[in-house]
Amino acid sequence: MLVEDYRAGDMICPECGLVVGDRVIDVGSEWRTFTNEKATKDPSRVGDAQNPLLNGGDLTTMISKGTGAASFDEFGNSKYQNRRTMSSSDRAMLNAFKEITTMADRINLPRNIIDRTNNLFKQVYEQKSLKGRANDAIASACLYIACRQEGVPRTFKEICAVSRISKKEIGRCFKLILKALETSVDLITTGDFMSRFCSNLGLPKQVQMAATYIARKAVELDLVPGRSPISVAAAAIYMASQASAEKKTQKEIGDIAGVADVTIRQSYRLIYPRAADLFPPDFKFDTPVDKLPQL
Amino acid sequence: MEQNNSLPPFQGLASPQGAMTPGTPIFSPMMPYGSGLTPQPVTNTNSLSLLEEQHRQQQASAQQGGVSGGSGQTPQLYHSQTVTTTTLPGNTPLYTTTPLTPMTPITPATPASESSGIVPQLQNIVSTVNLGCKLDLKTIALRARNAEYNPKRFAAVIMRIREPRTTALIFSSGKMVCTGAKSEEQSRLAARKYARVVQKLGFPAKFLDFKIQNMVGSCDVKFPIRLEGLVLTHQQFSSYEPELFPGLIYRMIKPRIVLLIFVSGKVVLTGAKVRGEIYEAFENIYPILKGFRKTT
Repeated sequence: MLVEDYRAGDMICPECGLVVGDRVIDVGSEWRTFTNEKATKDPSRVGDAQNPLLNGGDLTTMISKGTGAASFDEFGNSKYQNRRTMSSSDRAMLNAFKEITTMADRINLPRNIIDRTNNLFKQVYEQKSLKGRANDAIASACLYIACRQEGVPRTFKEICAVSRISKKEIGRCFKLILKALETSVDLITTGDFMSRFCSNLGLPKQVQMAATYIARKAVELDLVPGRSPISVAAAAIYMASQASAEKKTQKEIGDIAGVADVTIRQSYRLIYPRAADLFPPDFKFDTPVDKLPQL
Repeated sequence: MEQNNSLPPFQGLASPQGAMTPGTPIFSPMMPYGSGLTPQPVTNTNSLSLLEEQHRQQQASAQQGGVSGGSGQTPQLYHSQTVTTTTLPGNTPLYTTTPLTPMTPITPATPASESSGIVPQLQNIVSTVNLGCKLDLKTIALRARNAEYNPKRFAAVIMRIREPRTTALIFSSGKMVCTGAKSEEQSRLAARKYARVVQKLGFPAKFLDFKIQNMVGSCDVKFPIRLEGLVLTHQQFSSYEPELFPGLIYRMIKPRIVLLIFVSGKVVLTGAKVRGEIYEAFENIYPILKGFRKTT
């Protein structure tokens, strides 16, 4: 049970007072730190805050580009040029992390999903079972899985929109990754997408809640067997918006949801006959149920 | 020697698609052939034409008709012996003597749970055979009927015959893939017909290593199924992604079969090498599906 005495740099036993270490070098931060304007730059840190969990503990440092006049030789080229190949083994992984961050940024995903995606990618990459596949495809599939695991699934088409990989390839990689990592994901439900689709369409909260209720009821009553939950959600939003003051066309909803308008039409035809039962009891109808469009 | 059939020599019949010249007695070597199910004496006849083989198959299938799947027989029963080297042409009667062990259809004791009573129907058989000689695809494409050859698109001749309605991909190495047949016998017959066509065009075609590579079957359990429940309980075998495919993909381990299960109750089974695997897989999945029957 040794105790460190910082002031003298000793390791002392508290029971008998024996000094074991002597002049032990203090590895804490620099003692003389002046607070200056740039409070973000913590002078006690000597390296960048790398992510050791994902990088495998890269402790190398690099020489940055010089700032003064002395760092440039006569032709204007910088004297010290070597900034490459510091971590060639994980260069592809770092590249993928950058790509993941870019993709997630396009659809405004929070940090926790990005971290989860990075972790998934690291696991898949280390396993090497999907080594032949394009890293971007694996990254996109990891992003899809991370969104699912966090309980906020994105449709494949939404991930496609921010990635250069086709939906088919993302789907293939998705299945391969689930097998490789031996995990599974929950089934998607209609409610997962309601808040996003409705706010993208600018629908008020009442309509969103009505659409959620309609979709849930439709699935419970098994009016739409075998239909994708996205299509059912889109049809429910259509019905709810047509019954309210904020009417949206099938094309607009199809655009937001990534569903063809004929698909919305098909699902709508299935739920239309029971429309009166599907609306929540406290819904205020702008257009009554019998005046709902019938396509 | 005893012959199973006593057909008059082949003459004057409508020739199958692009194959035979009428009138000449055709000797094809035979493999001791039979379904393996019904007891048949060892047939050492060596002068079988395709027609006689067809007739033999009809006999075998008539006898076999009553035996449905799920009888728990070893898979080899449904597939004829594969003989390694046989030659097609020539008048010299060649025969290999791999004796058939007469098999009696075995019905096991009735199991504890009753069988489903539904038999999956075979929809497609994919088989391969080696014709044993290099082929010139261009001459085949030019001279054969119903052959298409587009070397820029695909490196094989695509030939179709009408009698067992099948399509064959014939490669220049001499290997051939035959698809579209509805039973093992038909697949073999069709492959022989294609081989005959190639032989007629002047190539020394043989019929080596005929092997069935894949069998697809389908059936209907006649009740709707709750796929969400199935994927929850069997998640290590199932994959259900409505965004990707409307059916549930169930990868069974014991007979290694992939089943596509749909909400309507239709089931597609594929990946089998022998018919028994399809039947066995369906018998395995049926009680599970009954447990996930939609009650409304």
